[in-house]
Amino acid sequence: MPEIFINGQSVMAADNQTVMEAAQANGFFIPYFCWHPKLSVAGNCRICAVQVEGRSWVEIACNLPVTKGLRVLTDSELVRAHRKATMQFVTLNHPVDCGICDKAGECSLQDYHFEYNGSPSVSTVPKVQATKFHDLSERIVLDNERCILCSRCVRFTHEISKSCALGIKNRGDSSLVRAAEDGGFDADPYSDNVIDICPVGALLSRPFLYKARVWYLKPTPSVCPGCARGCTVNLWHRKPEWHLRALDPRQNRSIARVTPLENPAVNGPWICNKGRDLARIFERPRADQAMLKGKPIDLATATAAAHSLIAAAKHPVALLSSWASNEELASFKAHLGERFASFLKTDWAPAVGEPVEDDFLIRRDKNPNTAAILALFPPAVDSEPELGPETDLVLIWGEGFDFARLPAKAKIVFLNAYLAPENGHADVFLPISIQTERPGHYTNFQGVVSAFEPCFAKLPSIADAEALFAALGATAEGAP
Amino acid sequence: MPGRQLLMTFPVTASSHTLADYRARGGYATLAKALAEMQPQDITKEVTASGILGHGGAAFPAGRKWSVITLDDGQPHYLCANADEGEPGTFKDRWILEHAPHLLVESMLITSYALQVRNAFVYIRGEFDLPYRRLAGAVEEAYEAGLLGERIFGSAFACDLVVYRGAGSYVCGEASGLLSSLEGKRGYPRNRPPRLTVKGLYQRPTVVNNVETLANVTGIVAHGAAEFRKVGTAKSPGTQLVSISGHILRPGVYEVEYGYPLKEFLYEDCGGPLEGTQIKCIVPGGISTKVLTAAECEKVTYDHASFEAAGSGLGSGGMIVIAEGTCMVRLLQVLLRFYHHESCGQCTPCREGMGWLHRIIDGIVDGKGRPEDIDSLYRISQLNDGTTICGMGDAAGYATVGILNKYRDEFEYFIEHGRSKFGGNLEIPVHA
Repeated sequence: MPEIFINGQSVMAADNQTVMEAAQANGFFIPYFCWHPKLSVAGNCRICAVQVEGRSWVEIACNLPVTKGLRVLTDSELVRAHRKATMQFVTLNHPVDCGICDKAGECSLQDYHFEYNGSPSVSTVPKVQATKFHDLSERIVLDNERCILCSRCVRFTHEISKSCALGIKNRGDSSLVRAAEDGGFDADPYSDNVIDICPVGALLSRPFLYKARVWYLKPTPSVCPGCARGCTVNLWHRKPEWHLRALDPRQNRSIARVTPLENPAVNGPWICNKGRDLARIFERPRADQAMLKGKPIDLATATAAAHSLIAAAKHPVALLSSWASNEELASFKAHLGERFASFLKTDWAPAVGEPVEDDFLIRRDKNPNTAAILALFPPAVDSEPELGPETDLVLIWGEGFDFARLPAKAKIVFLNAYLAPENGHADVFLPISIQTERPGHYTNFQGVVSAFEPCFAKLPSIADAEALFAALGATAEGAP
Repeated sequence: MPGRQLLMTFPVTASSHTLADYRARGGYATLAKALAEMQPQDITKEVTASGILGHGGAAFPAGRKWSVITLDDGQPHYLCANADEGEPGTFKDRWILEHAPHLLVESMLITSYALQVRNAFVYIRGEFDLPYRRLAGAVEEAYEAGLLGERIFGSAFACDLVVYRGAGSYVCGEASGLLSSLEGKRGYPRNRPPRLTVKGLYQRPTVVNNVETLANVTGIVAHGAAEFRKVGTAKSPGTQLVSISGHILRPGVYEVEYGYPLKEFLYEDCGGPLEGTQIKCIVPGGISTKVLTAAECEKVTYDHASFEAAGSGLGSGGMIVIAEGTCMVRLLQVLLRFYHHESCGQCTPCREGMGWLHRIIDGIVDGKGRPEDIDSLYRISQLNDGTTICGMGDAAGYATVGILNKYRDEFEYFIEHGRSKFGGNLEIPVHA
């Protein structure tokens, strides 16, 4: 534990730390572009310069090892001059088109320019022109003029996603980030992380391109339900105070983008591309109308009908949703657990072409909360559901069950959030809320519990499963 | 003859590069002696005692570099000869590779023995054709004669030598960029620390030496450090191969003893400037060293201390003579075009700065210069000094500042009048 001094203040650094890491750990800010805590040190942006006391030159903090008694200055006159000069170099050939850049508002270059430079360009020579809108993959578009060649994206594909799909070609100020010609970047299931780690607006998400200014959006912490890893994510949607009054009101209830929410216990700062596309799952056409054998009816009547069926049943079976939250499962167990023979239902199987499993984040189980069902209900829950001829009621919670497997005479109570042909086949159909409309927790395959919060209010005609089970349980108990 | 000779000790003939001729000159006897009689540490001690400075440009003492290698640290060590002679004006290593390739092979074997290296490499620039064929031929001859491979001279010492051809990048001549390229990666120089002698090729301790530095090892081991120190000056022992070109009567490669008067070398050994011209200035050791005016050339002797006192350096020994009447603005334009083209693009100041310098000087030469452009050239040069991973940014700055300091009037004239003071000449017409 060497003691070092940053701006004269004593700091205990860890062995083998760099000055950058020690400064970060102790609340000192040193600007950086190319440095990233999870990537190797490239040391090419030169903005993180610090001065060792007594020396007349600057050194880069990201590659300066701490030694006992090292005294560094992060804000000396020399350092400030160097930063200002480096900022002028960085912006020399940068188009400074913040007005039309998706990164504006969360861009290091923009922030540092105001913080460390602030003066207009001293150059009068024309800027180097480079490719705009280069498709690195189907998902990612690259603006080479905005690129500051920090090489974070290149290092990401070599060190984290291991696809080695990005590289830099050409030399000097003609250098260009390019994808390998074998299409490896299209196949990289983690490729979109380079958009987040790009310190400028060079790497842009094709689906999010020109969709929103980030200051109109707010992130809501959530958990990706795409697999049993349960990566924590931020769901970005329009701030309530910036709701659109004109245009399509659905935009007020849509997820603009998904970014990782750093979580060292589960996913670190990364998520896979499936997690980026959660809107494709959540924004499918929703079921918002309770039904009795396909006939629309109000929610209260449908709930009462479901209660009667449950009360009358002799051998009821429940198929539990592996997309249900811990709270919903606990509610089911508390209120209906005794009444039903409960079985685990695998709501989602791997889709065609989807990466099934790898040694990084992606898990074979494509459901978020299998672990919680296994923990809450007896071990038998994991077996094939026993749907014998004596079964007279099946409560199906969520998607992914083939109705053809149901016993012919059994009554069906179906809880689903999305429109599906099966909804109309159920004796009682109850529309339920989805993850973006309620708070809750998921337990991932490691047993780590992560919380999600609601982004939008649920419609009144849609039931909340947690309350629904309480109602069904209460009426069932009260019945003669 | 500019002083005593250590390398150019034999007449160059059609066969002087072959193993037979080299052995007839006493070749590989030193290797045999070293393997039979000397311990590895003794060789490093001898080289350290000789005080030989690196001949690649930075003049770092070779012995000090070698001493960092711990022989019994249990990891493989590597040796790499830097034959990526890319500094403009420099073609001295080519002489060794063409005419004395076995001297390099023998020296590398002795060095490998001293540093306990099993695999040694020569990184040779891609543009070298004859030097490559000569060296590759020498390596082949050495393998056939049992001088490379297992059980060399019947000892337990084994060493393999691989000749690797670069693809023509200036930055790959920088030691760490060279190793990146040798590893098959993009030729980006690496951050220090760690030093290459701690983590170099494949993250193992590696010594990278210039071809000429290595070529001197055989002589040092054969005759001893004391003999070596008798040549040259106390602070710059030995000799330097100087490749001289430009407006000079007898261009070529000369072996110059350190301490030899520069004036004598230029005017007597090389025959002086082209007929009918006078020397305006010289680029002393590759374009990355600051120019010396004719007046400054009068006083200096050819050694590190004297050149440093004159505000320049010996660099890589690539001397370019520039005659009166040459346009220094055009000259700087050529240099900056080179640096712009060769910047690897890794660090911000050099990647952006080299292009910026180049575009400013292009503007001046196009007659669109502005008086503040000179300050911009100074400023960008200064901002590249010591702020990048490798020394290329610094080197471009030295070259720019060196010329601007001494010939500012030519730049001001060009900017004011929109044309060169000397007709924009780089080539000088000779009236024989």
